[in-house]
Amino acid sequence: MKKILLPIIGAALMMAACDKIPEGEYTVFSGINATWSDGDGVEAIQRAYVEKYTGPTCTNCPLADETLDAAHETFGERLVVVSINHYEGQGKPFAGEPDMRTDGGTAWCKYFGINSLPSAYLNRNTSKQYTSSMGNIVTDIATAIAQQPVLGIGVSAKETNVGEISIGVDIQMAQAYTKPMTLTLALIEDSLAYKQSTPNGTDAEYVHNHMLRDVLTDFWGVDVQGVGAAGEKRHASFGTYSVKDENIKLENCHIVAFVSDKASKQVLNVAQCGIE
Amino acid sequence: MIIKRLLLSVLALAMVGNLHAQGIAGGHVTGNVQLEGQMSHADTTIGAGEVPERLLMNARADILYTNGDFSAGLRFEAYQNPLLGFDAQYTGQGIANYFVAYKTQRLAVTAGTFYEQFGSGMILRAYEDRYLGIDNALLGVNLMFRPIEGVTVKALAGKQRYYWQWGDGLVRGADAEIDLNSLIRPMSDSKLHVVLGAGFVSKYENDESIPSAADPEYRLNLPLNVGAGAVRMDMNYGHWSLQTEYARKGQDPSVMNGYIYRPGEALMLNLTYSKRGFSAGLQAKHVDNMSFKSSRNQSGEMLYINYIPAINKQHTYATLTMYPYATQVIGENGLQGEVMYRFKKGTALGGKYGTDIKVNGSMIYGLDTTQVGGAGTEGYTADWLALGEKYYTEASLEIDKKLNKKLHLTATYAYQVFNPVVEGHAPDLYHNHIVVGDLSWRINKKNALHIKAEWMGSDSHYDPAEGHTDRRAGDWLMGFVEWTIGTHWFISASDQYAYNDGVGNYPSVAVGYSTGATRLQVGYGKQREGLLCVGGVCRQVPASNGLTFSLTTSF
Repeated sequence: MKKILLPIIGAALMMAACDKIPEGEYTVFSGINATWSDGDGVEAIQRAYVEKYTGPTCTNCPLADETLDAAHETFGERLVVVSINHYEGQGKPFAGEPDMRTDGGTAWCKYFGINSLPSAYLNRNTSKQYTSSMGNIVTDIATAIAQQPVLGIGVSAKETNVGEISIGVDIQMAQAYTKPMTLTLALIEDSLAYKQSTPNGTDAEYVHNHMLRDVLTDFWGVDVQGVGAAGEKRHASFGTYSVKDENIKLENCHIVAFVSDKASKQVLNVAQCGIE
Repeated sequence: MIIKRLLLSVLALAMVGNLHAQGIAGGHVTGNVQLEGQMSHADTTIGAGEVPERLLMNARADILYTNGDFSAGLRFEAYQNPLLGFDAQYTGQGIANYFVAYKTQRLAVTAGTFYEQFGSGMILRAYEDRYLGIDNALLGVNLMFRPIEGVTVKALAGKQRYYWQWGDGLVRGADAEIDLNSLIRPMSDSKLHVVLGAGFVSKYENDESIPSAADPEYRLNLPLNVGAGAVRMDMNYGHWSLQTEYARKGQDPSVMNGYIYRPGEALMLNLTYSKRGFSAGLQAKHVDNMSFKSSRNQSGEMLYINYIPAINKQHTYATLTMYPYATQVIGENGLQGEVMYRFKKGTALGGKYGTDIKVNGSMIYGLDTTQVGGAGTEGYTADWLALGEKYYTEASLEIDKKLNKKLHLTATYAYQVFNPVVEGHAPDLYHNHIVVGDLSWRINKKNALHIKAEWMGSDSHYDPAEGHTDRRAGDWLMGFVEWTIGTHWFISASDQYAYNDGVGNYPSVAVGYSTGATRLQVGYGKQREGLLCVGGVCRQVPASNGLTFSLTTSF
């Protein structure tokens, strides 16, 4: 009987490998779109983008924070970190605590197959994953920012009405790049104090920085239009973004803009700014 | 890659030993080689374009090493550049297929590339058809296990071949088949033979951004795992046989269905009665949104996980295949019936050698649908048994008679109604009457003649001034003569000529030589553009004018 049962159980497990999207949820908001025009240009400075996956009940996640906080001290604005709360397991919040999971972060987690915390990628180079104390990520960041940039990128953001932000991005090609590129905008928030597991126990007021609060554009960005050859300059004006969560304090927020290769998802350059 | 290197090493060692037979440790190396070449030049009268390369070539060599329960194989392919009608993405050469396998009565394991089918293929059929340029091989692991007598379980996982790459989507599947007569002792002697089966296949694809048709600020919330399951039953009782399979697929928005979320389903029924001198069969098919590919953005014939069997009669004669019907995986309802009766020897109609008569009828319609939206919606609703637009109908009568010891005649009449909407053109109905005479004459022990004469009358017509592009249109005559000389040589000549309401004259000649397992053929002439179909799956073949040659051999 066991010989028959095992295959049946196997088949039943496979049946679970079928997603069902509820009616009414076939489409999701894809974020704000860009209007492209000729730009004034921007200095090409190569920055490093670190996408770090974390969770409140992940005991070792504060070790990653320590490493990346120290890196920030070293590299300053040349390093942009985005902390993404995993969508399940150690990503689930403590009871009564704020839920930092986002649709965009969940999509990224699933795409990159993140199943252990903490984990991080540098410039979304998935051939090397950093875990626990982040290994030699500091050395790799130094190497990454020493590279000749493919493009320069600058971002500006302004709160036009309460909870409404208008954003502009400038791109200037430093080298020719003929493959399709996308531009992604993310809203991150610093100084969020909520409960976190640590190697020394639970810290009820652990301060979380760079937490992803929303992906403003489509999760995989909007197509970068009109650039490719070295020296070309473009400006992207985004429609108004309305902050979805009233608990978000814009004074503690930054807008992160990064350009990535559309196919490989590797980040070519990144910039961030505060909200005026 | 490790498998590929290991395999190459094993095969190299085996071939160092003895190419023809005994390899390492008593194993065997067998294989076959096929080379096809084509030279074509521009011909505006038939719409043939210039071939800049002058010479096109498809070549392949399959090599198989077997040693007891172990086997390993590889296939080298070269497309320098691909023959006309084959996708330019095949351009290149290399090891396209490689595997190692271990197979016993109870267990079979294949690592590398493999082909597999669950049931009739409605949820999984990884297969290859070199003439269509289709290769949906899976690269991964395939397992077959027979835990007890009468029960066969299969499981697999892999990625599909996409020309010289492997598709991004993951394909996972399992299938179980139970032969009740083997499993249940009291049924072992029963006249009723029953085989039950069930399978499930799931594909995984990464998320991506596809805009909603209704609102560009919204994107599709894509199912990353799409599953398809099927149940089937084969029954045989005396002269009767019944095969049935029902398949259902989960939400699978794709370019093939316009990114809608309607689940898919398909039902196949095949009832036959067969005894000496008489057989009858009835087939029914319902297909609704059953395109199942490992890439949601791929159109064309590559990366299909499943296969929907054709339900209309599969022909070989030129005029009968001029308007071939391609299975509509997006939706169709079909019915086919066939009766074969043999008039016995010595009767008035049977004559000295007997006479076979086959009557076949098939009709295929689209679904009767009501649109409810575009991308990001359910797409449409459809009633199960309601018929939509007529796609194809055919009635044919075939008489097969041996006239004497040297002459064998097959005569066919067919009436076809064809809707070009199934090929993506504007809907219309072409009505074709076709008559074929096929005579084989064994002149003596060394010489034989094969003569075919075909006629097609169609109400379609070709007039470029009216913007017509379909060069199949009009009334056609076709003739074919093949002379087989001894056991090695043959010479043939043929012509297809549109004598009314169409254009085109396609003469061609060929000569062939075969010895043992080797066959060489050289032809020269014009090739009509059209669809080449096998089992309802089709490839567009452009017009050409020039030399063709092929060489096949095996060892």
